[in-house]
Amino acid sequence: MDLRQLLLTLMLVWANDSFSTSEVLLERPHFIKCRSPELETFSCHWTNRDFHNLTTPGNIQLLYMRRNDEEWKDCPDYVTAGENSCYFNTSYTSIWITYCVKLINKDEVFDEKCFSVDEIVQPDPPVGLNWTLLNISLTGIHADIQVRWEPPPSADVLKGWITLEYELQYKEVNKTKWRELEPMLTTAVPLYSLKLGRDYEIRVRSRQRASEKFGEFSETLYVSLSSISPVLYVEVVSELEFPLLLVVIFGTFGVIVVMALILFSKHQRLKMLILPPVPAPKIKGIDPNLLKKGKLDEVNSILACHDSYKAQLYNDDSWVEFIELDIDDPDEKADGLDTDRLLGDNHLKSHNCLGVKDDDSGRASCCEPDIPETDFSASDICDGTSDIDRSKKISEKEEDLLCLDQNDNDESLASPDDPTAQKPNINIQSEDNQSKPSSADSIESPSPPVHTQLSNQSSVANIDFYAQVSDVTPAGSVVLSPGQTNKTRRTQCEAYTEPAIQCQPRFTMDNAYFCEADVKKCITATSHDAAEPHVQEQNFIEDVYFTTESLTTTAENPGPAAEASSTEMPVPDYTSIHIVHSPQGLVLNATALPVPDKEFVISCGYVSTDQLNKIMP
Amino acid sequence: MFLSKKGVTSLPICPSGSAGCQVSLGNLFDRAVKLSHYIHSLSSEMFNEFDERYAQGRGFITKAINGCHTSSLTTPEDKEQAQQIHHVDLLNLVLGVLRSWNDPLLHLVSEVQSFKEAPDTILWKAMEIEEQNKRLLEGMEKIVGQVHPGEIENEVYSKWSGLPSLQMADEDSRLFAFYNLLHCLRRDSHKIDNYLKLLKCHLIHDSNC
Repeated sequence: MDLRQLLLTLMLVWANDSFSTSEVLLERPHFIKCRSPELETFSCHWTNRDFHNLTTPGNIQLLYMRRNDEEWKDCPDYVTAGENSCYFNTSYTSIWITYCVKLINKDEVFDEKCFSVDEIVQPDPPVGLNWTLLNISLTGIHADIQVRWEPPPSADVLKGWITLEYELQYKEVNKTKWRELEPMLTTAVPLYSLKLGRDYEIRVRSRQRASEKFGEFSETLYVSLSSISPVLYVEVVSELEFPLLLVVIFGTFGVIVVMALILFSKHQRLKMLILPPVPAPKIKGIDPNLLKKGKLDEVNSILACHDSYKAQLYNDDSWVEFIELDIDDPDEKADGLDTDRLLGDNHLKSHNCLGVKDDDSGRASCCEPDIPETDFSASDICDGTSDIDRSKKISEKEEDLLCLDQNDNDESLASPDDPTAQKPNINIQSEDNQSKPSSADSIESPSPPVHTQLSNQSSVANIDFYAQVSDVTPAGSVVLSPGQTNKTRRTQCEAYTEPAIQCQPRFTMDNAYFCEADVKKCITATSHDAAEPHVQEQNFIEDVYFTTESLTTTAENPGPAAEASSTEMPVPDYTSIHIVHSPQGLVLNATALPVPDKEFVISCGYVSTDQLNKIMP
Repeated sequence: MFLSKKGVTSLPICPSGSAGCQVSLGNLFDRAVKLSHYIHSLSSEMFNEFDERYAQGRGFITKAINGCHTSSLTTPEDKEQAQQIHHVDLLNLVLGVLRSWNDPLLHLVSEVQSFKEAPDTILWKAMEIEEQNKRLLEGMEKIVGQVHPGEIENEVYSKWSGLPSLQMADEDSRLFAFYNLLHCLRRDSHKIDNYLKLLKCHLIHDSNC
C-alpha cells in the first residue's frame, strides 16, 4: 500500500511538471487557419490564451508581408473577423501573391506562415436549402425529392470569379453516418429512394473547384417524409401485409388441393374433356383405319358402291379424280394393275409391297391398299404382291388400263397359290412408286406359274366379273366398271385371255368400284365358302382397300361361283361397305342402299361416320 | 487526389485558315475554359504529389517567395483589377502567359524523366499539361482573332531561364527548382483559368453565369 501511494504521488508530480511545461507550449499563440471565402478577402485566426505564466501579457501582433514588400506590416484589421483574427479586405488582398504572416509579441515570434490567397480558399456555406417532392413510388414506400440551395452570397459566381462545387450529405434522423454524394457543380440535386415515414437531414458544403478543402456545412435541412399522406397507405399495407400474405398463401394452397382432388377424381372425365377420343367409325365394312388415316377418298370409293351415290359422285369431278392411273409413266402403270390385285392373289402387305403412293387419288376399287410410299422394306408377306407387281409391268398404255380387269384377273387368279398369308391388293391406281424391289425379289419364282394360271383361267372366263376400265378421265384417272358391257374393250387385249369370270352378271353395269361383297356371294356357292372367306378376310391388308381374297377364291372356283352368282340380285353400280375388318380391309356389300343424302356428295369425297351410319344398315 | 481527368480529352478546333469553319465565340470560350480548368487540375495534382513525395519537411514553402518567371507580366491581381482591364488586353495577357510556359513545360517533361524514381503519374501529368497548353494557346489565338481581329500585337511573353536550376547536380537544389516550377505552374494555371472564366461570363453571358 505504501509503495503504491508513493508511486501514485510520483506520477502525479511528474504529470504536473510535464503539464506545466507543455501548457506553456500549448498555449503559445499559433495560427489556426487563414482562409479566404471568396478569393477577394482573407483572414487569419490564431489561438491566444492568457495564462498567468506569461511574464508580459502583451498583445499579440500579426505582421504580414507580401512577396514584393520589403518589410513587415501590421494587420490592417483585428476586429472584423473576430477575436484573435486579422482580416484583410479587398484592398489588401492580392491573389496569386505569396503572403507571409507571423504572430509576434514584441519581438517574440510565435508562429509564421506563408501562403497565397488562391490556396486558402474555403467558401462560405451555401444558403437557402429547400426540398420538393418529386414523386412517390408505386409501392408507396419510397419517394424522390429534389434539394436546392443557393451559392454563398459572398462568392461572386455570377461574374465567374470563383467557381464552386458542392457536396451534399444526408442521413436519417436517427442514424449517425452521413451519406455523401459526389461533388457537383449544380445547385440542385435529386435524392432518390428516400423512405416514406422517416425523417431526413440534409446539409451542403462547397469548395472552390479544383481545391481540396471544403467550406463549412450549411444549416441542416430537415426533410420530414412522415407527414405525407401516402404513408398512411404504406402503414396500412404494412399492417395488412402479414395477414394478406397468409391469406394468399393459404388460398393458393387450397386452390391447388381442390384442383388436385378434381383432377384425380374426375381423371377419366377430364381426360375425355381435354383429349376427346377420336370417334371410331361405326360403319360396318369400313376399316376404321381408313378414316383414321384420312383416306377419305377410299371411303368414298367404298361408299360409291351405292347406286345413287355413285350417280352423284360421278357427276363430281373430284370423285372421278379419285381414280387415278398414272399413264405417263409406263413402268408404274405396269406395276399398278389394280385389277390383278382385285382378283386377290396379291398377298400383299400393301404398305410394304406395293409402294403405292398414298396420294389423293381415289382408288377405283373398293379395295385398295394404303401404302406409304417410302416403306419398301422386305417383307415375307409381300412376296405375292411384288411378284404380281412385276408381272404387271406389262404395258402402261391405255389399252392396258382397259385390260386391267383381265390382267388383274389373270394375276390374281394365280396368286392364291401363295401359301403365306398374303393379302390381295386391289389397287387400280398405278402409282409413281410402284417399284417393289425388295419384296419383288422373292416373288420372282411364282410369277411364271401365275402367268400360266392366268392364261389358263383367262381362257375360261367369259364373264367379266372384275372391274374393268370403263373410262379414262383426262386427269389420267380410270373409271372402272364391272364389265360385261366392256367386252369390246376386252377384245383389244388380244394378248390376254379372258379370265374365268365368276359372278359376272353382277357387274354388268358400269361400276366404278368393284365390291368384294358381290364376289363373296359368288363364293358362297362354292364349296370353299366357309373357311376361305374368313381366312381371307382375316388376311386383309392394312390399307383402306378391301382385299380380294374372296375374289381369289372365286377365281379358283369359277364354275360353281359363276352359277351362284348368276342368279338374283341386280348388280348395283356401287358396292357398299359391308364389313370393316379392321385394320385390314373392307368387305363390300352389293345390297342396294338407300339414296344417300346430299350430304354424301361432299367435296373430295369425305364421308363422315354419321353419314356412313345413315347409309349402312 | 480526387481530381480526375474528366471531360477534356480533345476539343477539335477548326484548323486555322479554313474559311468555312467558324466556331462561335461562345463555343471557343467554352472549350478554352474547359482546357484551362483541366490544366489547373492537373497542375494542382502534380504539385501535391510532388510535395508529398519529395518536399516534405524541407521547408520549401517558405522559400517559395521567389517569384515565377511570369511575374514580369503585369497581370491583374484581384477582381477589381481584372474587371477594370480591357478584355482584349486581358486576352493578350493570357496569351502571353501561355506562351511563356511553352518552354518550361517542354523542359519539365524532359527533366522529370531524369528524376530518379519519379512516379509515372507526375511524368504523365507533365506531358499532358504540356500538350494541353499548346492547344489552349491555339484556342486563345482564335478567340483573339475573333474578338480583336486585325493587328496582332507583339508577342509578349516572359522568357524562362530556369533550365540550369532544373539540371543542378545538387539534389536539394534541383528538387527546390522543381518545386518552385510546379508551384508557379499551379498558380499561373489558376490565374489563366480565372481570367478566362471572368471573360467568358462577361462577354458571353453578360456577367450572369
